[in-house]
Amino acid sequence: MLKKLAAFSKKFFFFQQEEHDPVLEAEEMEALRLTFKSRYHSFKLLLAANNRILEGMADIERALQGNESFSMAFVQTHCTAISVNVFRMISDMENIAPGKYAALKESFVAIQKRIDALLGAKKQIADKRLVIPLEALHSGMTGLVGGKMANLGDIKNKLHMNVPAGFAITAAAHDMFMQADGLQREIDRLFQVAGSDEDRNLDLVSSQIRQRIMSAEVPEPIYLAVVEAYSRMREENNGQEIRMAVRSSAFGEDAENSSFAGQYRSELNVGFSQFFYYYKQVMASKYSVQAIAYKLSRGFRDEDIAMCVGCLAMVDAIAGGVIYTCNPLDAKDDAIFINSTWGLPKAVVDGNDLCDLFVVSRDDDLTIQRREVRKKGYQVVCFEGEGCIRTETDASLANRPSLSDDQVRELADHAIRIEQYYEMPQDIEWAIDIEGKISILQSRPLQQLEAVLPGADLDLKRFESSLLVEGGINASPGVACGKVYKVEKKVDILQFPEGAILVVEQALPTWAPLVARAAAVVSEQGGFAGHLANVAREFGIPAIFGVSGAMERMHKGDAVTVAADLGRVYLGNIAPLLEWTRPEPKLMLGSPVYETLKEVSRHIIPLHLLDPESRDFTPQNCRTFHDITRFIHEKSVMEMFSFGKDHSFSERSSKQLHYRVPMNWWILNLDDGFTHEINGKYVKLEDIASIPMLAFWEGFAAIPWDGPPAMDGKGMTSIMFRSTMNTALVPGVKSKYADRNYFMISKNYCTLSSRLGYHFSTMEAMVSERSGENYLGFKFKGGAADFERCMGRVNFIKEILERYGFRATVNADNVDARMEGHDMEYMIGRLKILGYLTLHTRQLDMIMGNSPLVAYYMNRLTKDIDSLLA
Amino acid sequence: MDKKERAFKVLLVDDEDIFREATARQLSVRGFIVLTAASGAAAIEQVKNDPPEVVVLDQEMPGMHGSETFIAIKKINPLIEVIMLTGNTSVDNAIELMQLGTFDYLMKPINIDELLYKIEDAYTRKKLNEKQQREAGHA
Repeated sequence: MLKKLAAFSKKFFFFQQEEHDPVLEAEEMEALRLTFKSRYHSFKLLLAANNRILEGMADIERALQGNESFSMAFVQTHCTAISVNVFRMISDMENIAPGKYAALKESFVAIQKRIDALLGAKKQIADKRLVIPLEALHSGMTGLVGGKMANLGDIKNKLHMNVPAGFAITAAAHDMFMQADGLQREIDRLFQVAGSDEDRNLDLVSSQIRQRIMSAEVPEPIYLAVVEAYSRMREENNGQEIRMAVRSSAFGEDAENSSFAGQYRSELNVGFSQFFYYYKQVMASKYSVQAIAYKLSRGFRDEDIAMCVGCLAMVDAIAGGVIYTCNPLDAKDDAIFINSTWGLPKAVVDGNDLCDLFVVSRDDDLTIQRREVRKKGYQVVCFEGEGCIRTETDASLANRPSLSDDQVRELADHAIRIEQYYEMPQDIEWAIDIEGKISILQSRPLQQLEAVLPGADLDLKRFESSLLVEGGINASPGVACGKVYKVEKKVDILQFPEGAILVVEQALPTWAPLVARAAAVVSEQGGFAGHLANVAREFGIPAIFGVSGAMERMHKGDAVTVAADLGRVYLGNIAPLLEWTRPEPKLMLGSPVYETLKEVSRHIIPLHLLDPESRDFTPQNCRTFHDITRFIHEKSVMEMFSFGKDHSFSERSSKQLHYRVPMNWWILNLDDGFTHEINGKYVKLEDIASIPMLAFWEGFAAIPWDGPPAMDGKGMTSIMFRSTMNTALVPGVKSKYADRNYFMISKNYCTLSSRLGYHFSTMEAMVSERSGENYLGFKFKGGAADFERCMGRVNFIKEILERYGFRATVNADNVDARMEGHDMEYMIGRLKILGYLTLHTRQLDMIMGNSPLVAYYMNRLTKDIDSLLA
Repeated sequence: MDKKERAFKVLLVDDEDIFREATARQLSVRGFIVLTAASGAAAIEQVKNDPPEVVVLDQEMPGMHGSETFIAIKKINPLIEVIMLTGNTSVDNAIELMQLGTFDYLMKPINIDELLYKIEDAYTRKKLNEKQQREAGHA
């Protein structure tokens, strides 16, 4: 076919008049059309790919603002989509201009390698031990056994406090478990399938993954190592069976400013016969709905989180709870806050019941400043068989303090020592057994907030009539307004509206995924030491817990204002209180997922190739995917719309437009630009199927142009002078093809080279239902007047084009305008404008020295255009 | 393309019954003649017996993997255009398959209109390639 084209080119130069062979000519025209179709198709694909890349880059840029959460699946999916589409553009470019831009592939491969290195980077665990006893653990081992177990190692081995006997199942074991039978690959696949719909599919993805983990076999080396560690514990316990607490100790779980704790599973009072079942439960809890939602909203990478598991001998506690070594709601308050209840500390952590609060000063006597002894109606205790049970507290105990003053002081002393060791405020879980022995079960950094206090002049009495409920505990400070949404069942999670006030009976960890979506949280029960309170503080969401009657008195859909610091909820929007609102923390900033995207985006988004005229505008200088995209887009438009210039054809291949009378406009049909096969010399407007050409023509012919405006004397002199210098400007001189008015068309494609009077213009258009592929280009050059007047006209045209949405630039006496991506109707309207301007700017350069006339014509032209678009 | 122009054969290969059936139904409504296969081996039989114009092929299938199926289809008929569907977003894998000549790559969950455009584009490309091959034969 190429040979045919070459022969064709040789034989049929523009307007040549020699003898011709009609059969050969038809065949060659067919070859030309096929080449056009193939390139045109590639061009369309290329533009579609270009748009997908730009959309992908816009998504990445939006994500990098850090306001919304996103996952590694987002990063990977976007990188892959962009890479695939850049590759697609390179392949399509190759089809449009074979061999001409081969160096693009090398640039692509180099960029791709850099991105792969960033996405594939995963820390390798050098220590391959699967199980490590508590005696050998210390805080330098967080990357091996997770922060929780590493910290407990320090507390036991360095601070010599009482910690239950036990061992950690390591990150190496986690890797072994996840790699066996392609488990991790399957999980990655499920996440990627969920894609950007992760939120909607969260339940499904979570349950699919957990099922796969639960049905997986524990690899034999892990099994053997655990049996060995447990046997050693049993030997030390005089051969007696030991009930275990099987607890998550995942990477990042106990890090500062994160509250993973409580979102993973901890199983208490487990007999060894059931151990591996619960080990898998804990492993699977990495993918609980709460944990996935949390990871997404905080930007943790799934692959960065190894689920290590802590196995500790169970403490059959008579009392337990949580110590905050400082006030979490006020960074300036260094008193020690001890939350305590009867039975296991689980009741405090889960936040489903009220507990006692003891506030201790750091003076030498450890004075108890405050005692808030509440009715502890329920407690969680070890069940005789296995597991735990929530039982009603004995009436004689319910209202009694769960700690003696001595125990409070002993706990405060432990707390201070742990805080001093870590040199930062701590959140410590503890238990006391029947012999009164304190065990430390966990210690992690405590997040503290600055207290926000209302202005002294704020008179709260003004709002009394709107007061709905009061008397709650400030679990997370701040003020927020929203509509009430009560959540009672898990299924309500799916319907919870963004920005609503979450109202619940118990402050359970189950509701944690809703916190990031809520404006505020109100719970009838729970204290500020519970997990949900931690999550609310972390996300900067105001929360009031322990508000009795909230479920009854707050009605679904009512707008309310929650003032957590006051422990009150008001009906309606109380604007003066909202001034207390805390700024929303940008939780994604600095997170591992965020940093990965930031690094990767450096190879995707920056644009270095700015000027197509520059010598540096080459494939070799493409340093990012954006550069490649920009380069290809520029060159593909150039190659595609210069198609006719590269492939010459005879005048006979084209048809003359017959619009009322034969016109001096010629049309070359490249594909399906006519409604049917046209024989003969002329084609009528009704035979044209080309959408862009018809739109252009409509604008061109809609409003008659009553000739050039009266020109001033200088204008005329200027034209006469230039005409003597440039023979191409003299109408009588025989013109080449390129100087005539030529359309090249298919149904959705049109190029036009026109010469009307003394100016040249070209128009390029692709218009179809696929908005993403739509494109308009318009160039206008020249004029017979002096440079200044020509410049006046190009600026005049530029102003009109910009007014109607084109991106226009002026370079010397050229105006170059483009637009893309709009829907068909919009593009058709813009083509009408181009048609109109092509005719109505004819010889307008003459009046450019006359400001009132310029203003008059600006007004007239825009009026005409508005009527065209109406 | 209008509905009539879409009356060409598309083979949809996916082991997930719900996805395959729902997608087949959506494509049929839009005018395509949809053939389906639940495995790579079934797809190859189909290509041998009643060749489609375009294949939409899931990459992650038990038994014969999508990539192997793709290579086998191309061996039988190199002009058939194949669109890969996948949940696996490994860049390497995607680029490798594009280099091997898959027409395009779509990630699940798919947008049905996007799939429709890709099938139309793949069909147009196939027809052009066939024509060009015929022309080359004449030359």
